[in-house]
Amino acid sequence: MFRHRYVLVFLLLAVDIYIFGVSDAVNVTASDSATKPQQDPIYPSPSSSVVNSPVFKPAVDSAFSISLLSSFPDDLEISEYCSELLRLFGQRYVTYVDCLVPSARPVKVCENCSPGYQSLHEVFMNISSDQVGPGNVSCRNTILSSDRLMLVFLLYSNVDLIWKKSNCENCVTGDLKGPKNDTLYYLTLLNQTITCFDKYKQGNLSELCKNCKTAYKNLNDLYSGMEANNTLCIDLEDAMNMTRKLWSKKFHCSFPREETVPVVAVSAFLLFLPIVFYLSSFLHSEQKKRKLIHPQRAKSYSSLMNIQDKKS
Amino acid sequence: MANITKKVSWSSRCDEFGAVGEETPLLNGSDQARPLRQVHLDYDNIENQLFLEEERRMSFLAFRCLEISRWVICGLIGFLTGLIACFIDIVVEQLAGIKYKVIKENIVRFTEAGGLSISLILWAVLNSSFVMLGAIMVAFFEPIAAGSGIPQIKCYLNGVKIPRVVRLKTLVIKVCGVICSVVGGLAVGKEGPMIHSGAVVAAGVSQGRSTSLKRDFKIFEYFRRDTEKRDFVSAGAAAGVSAAFGAPVGGVLFSLEEGASFWNQMLTWRIFFASMISTFTLNFFLSVYHNKTGDLSNPGLINFGSFESEAMGYNLYEIPLFMAMGALGGLLGALFNFLNYWLTIFRIRYVHRPCLQVMEAVLVAAVTAAVAFIMIYFSVDCQPLAPDHTEEYPLQLFCADGEYNSMATAFFNTPERSVRSLFHNPRGTYNALTLGLFTLTYFFLACWTYGLSVSAGVFIPSLLIGAAWGRLCGILLASTTSTASTWADPGKYALIGAAAQLGGIVRMTLSLTVIMMEATGNVTYGLPIMLVLMTAKIVGDYFQEGLYDIHIKLQSVPFLHWEAPATSHWLTAREVMSSPVICLNRIEKVGTIVDILSNTSTNHNGFPVVVQPAKLCGLILRSQLIVLLKHKVFVELARSRLTQRKLQLKDFRDAYPRFPPIQSIHVSQDERECMMDLTEFMNPTPYTVPLETSLPRVFKLFRALGLRHLVVVDDENRVNGLVTRKDLARYHLGKHGLEELHLAQT
Repeated sequence: MFRHRYVLVFLLLAVDIYIFGVSDAVNVTASDSATKPQQDPIYPSPSSSVVNSPVFKPAVDSAFSISLLSSFPDDLEISEYCSELLRLFGQRYVTYVDCLVPSARPVKVCENCSPGYQSLHEVFMNISSDQVGPGNVSCRNTILSSDRLMLVFLLYSNVDLIWKKSNCENCVTGDLKGPKNDTLYYLTLLNQTITCFDKYKQGNLSELCKNCKTAYKNLNDLYSGMEANNTLCIDLEDAMNMTRKLWSKKFHCSFPREETVPVVAVSAFLLFLPIVFYLSSFLHSEQKKRKLIHPQRAKSYSSLMNIQDKKS
Repeated sequence: MANITKKVSWSSRCDEFGAVGEETPLLNGSDQARPLRQVHLDYDNIENQLFLEEERRMSFLAFRCLEISRWVICGLIGFLTGLIACFIDIVVEQLAGIKYKVIKENIVRFTEAGGLSISLILWAVLNSSFVMLGAIMVAFFEPIAAGSGIPQIKCYLNGVKIPRVVRLKTLVIKVCGVICSVVGGLAVGKEGPMIHSGAVVAAGVSQGRSTSLKRDFKIFEYFRRDTEKRDFVSAGAAAGVSAAFGAPVGGVLFSLEEGASFWNQMLTWRIFFASMISTFTLNFFLSVYHNKTGDLSNPGLINFGSFESEAMGYNLYEIPLFMAMGALGGLLGALFNFLNYWLTIFRIRYVHRPCLQVMEAVLVAAVTAAVAFIMIYFSVDCQPLAPDHTEEYPLQLFCADGEYNSMATAFFNTPERSVRSLFHNPRGTYNALTLGLFTLTYFFLACWTYGLSVSAGVFIPSLLIGAAWGRLCGILLASTTSTASTWADPGKYALIGAAAQLGGIVRMTLSLTVIMMEATGNVTYGLPIMLVLMTAKIVGDYFQEGLYDIHIKLQSVPFLHWEAPATSHWLTAREVMSSPVICLNRIEKVGTIVDILSNTSTNHNGFPVVVQPAKLCGLILRSQLIVLLKHKVFVELARSRLTQRKLQLKDFRDAYPRFPPIQSIHVSQDERECMMDLTEFMNPTPYTVPLETSLPRVFKLFRALGLRHLVVVDDENRVNGLVTRKDLARYHLGKHGLEELHLAQT
């Protein structure tokens, strides 16, 4: 429960921010003039409508015209190969984030977006690798760590965090192309349960509890097993959470508290025993008396007199 | 007004009416057969001729060796104490794990199928059987192993030895007993007994032999006397604290605060060494157990975990809140002690037969289970588990799937784990009602449990009660204002509450502050914890003494506090001393000595040696006389048998610490006529005071030098009286000025 809500909030936040970041970066590379100052007015903008708003655009344009004046000499600029990589990174980033946002609720990030992550990961690996590309340049330093902001690295590390937190690796195959067999089996059981719910939810709920119990129990057991093995990902967790909520909170199929009388009786009996015990030991056991050690004093009477004398 | 109020301790109130004249018959006869008899310790070195001779014989090298062997012993003490702590920890974890697993499976099965009352019975029976095992061991085999053992160790370090308190058998029973009672689900902890265990280990190791096992390793013979042994026992107690809480400095300070009246820099350094070794050993073996061999950063039986997140910081404006909590802790602590005091009196009076004690313990265990079950059963507080939860046995019961009963996270767990959950679980794990109910029930359970005849400590239950109401305070604070929810972290308030409650119950100050600080691993909490403990102590002392002091008093131990009672300067040695004194002549007839020693009505332990007319020339102890009689060191025999080996200090040490009773020494009629020369063996320079010495002065001598007997002489050096510990411990400052208590015989 907790985890899901948290991830969701995080996801929305992250996506919110990065969409601007990406659109910005893409613009910049397209016009081939990377300047920092123009980013500042865009960052605080609260919604995407601002970006597209006609009022805002002229300002951006004017910023471009200013920055063009102070363009750097060619040899300090980014190489052809690297800017190509950067463009590719931007594209795939947008694709991935585009995929993530619609899958936020109900969570389907692993199911839908794993291939997207895979391709983004590939291009980032290319950027960050030591290998020298055509033209004898390595893009690692130019792109990743030549300025304080390290934007590309920051963007990627956030996406990577989303990936890690979602635990998707547990649900998809090694090449991130499709779901694992376990996941498929789980999804089948889930579908059975949901179908069952759909079938009975119109009528009497106790009917539903009775008829769907097997399906739900199988699903629940499988989930508990997977939970113990740590083979869950966010998709499955979220699906199970929703199912459990339906089952317990909407259909009220949890176990009822119905054997209060025997439980209370047994505990009352147990609570009653000490009273009997203490009463009986109070009444029947002989009281132990302590013997006092009396001081052996010389002239105790006179000493008391002494004290009184001194005091008075 | 001028008189000292004569006051009698509780037990005599009913005797007072009819039994005033009964004192003589009570003192002998059946009373002598009672096995428990306090013995006081001789911390004063006896500088008799034998001692001087031995010292002369010892070379410089031998003294160096002694010094080194002291270090070796301290290392060994630390190592063994750590091992014991580790053993207890692992066994408790395993057994409790099995127990909770069985019960949990049972509950899960019966939640579905119906019949939860059977789970309740299973739980109660499992608890009771473990506790029964522990209680039988304690009640029938070694009653001294009951409780936390801290009062006993306090007494030992103060100079009163309760018999059998530092024996191997006690250690074994203590360790097994504490495992049983913790696994048995009682409201107890395993930390207090560690201190006792450490002390027993120290007393055993430093002597280089075990009388219980009848093994003498012939090492460390020099240390076989009270002075040396006491130093090692304080090291052992420190090692115990340090193993229990992962607080080496706290352990050293505990020894300082609670015990040792002799304190010097080298001893402190050695004690610190023992403490460190003990923590280190525990960490090392636990790391092996947790498959992280070599990771030494997981100290203590109870680990509070680290308090390092942002919200755990505190601000100046929270200090008054903390102090208010301290005052509350003091109040609750006083209530706890008050209830426990009356309960203990009831127990001493009516529940004194071992089988009754076992029954009581079993009943408490069953009721504990029943109460916990009822609480869990009726709790409607369901919470999802946090992502990084540590609960191993969450119970769902009637909660929605995916949520768990939060009362069960508090009750269905070993107390240590519950404390940790209360400290560290995120906001919203418990609701206010759950915590309130938990505090209430656990308070009474813990109060009821302490003093049962099982070995168990009161530290953890106190921490748990405090953590529960502290967390409750945090939650309530956070709900009062919207800004408070940002700084009122419930975990922080749980910690403060725990400190307040523990301080209110045991009233320790310096050492407890350091222990809590070390256990949380956060020095910045030093100030709030100190303030909280101070407030708790001030408020609590207004109503009632600390729990350990109450129990010491109830055992009628002549415990000497740091200072003589105020306003006692007008009392002089003349009024305080016992008189007349039984004195021995320097050359005394064996028959007289045997008669004096066998006189059960006096049972004195030290005898001034005089030359006629009654001039003091030395002091000799009962134990020395017994050794002399055993070896038949008579003047006549020495003359006839010139070859006879001269008695050495070693002979006294071999008999230490269990000198045979006088009854077991056979002295024939002929031998009774022989004479005994005490010159060589007596302490020729005992401490003496003149008749007019004031009580505080005498008191200071006793406390600072660890005296056992102080001879009162007149201006011509004639023996007039003898002051012992019992004569001093009678006086205390009550509501009506100076009061005189009558000590009961134990």
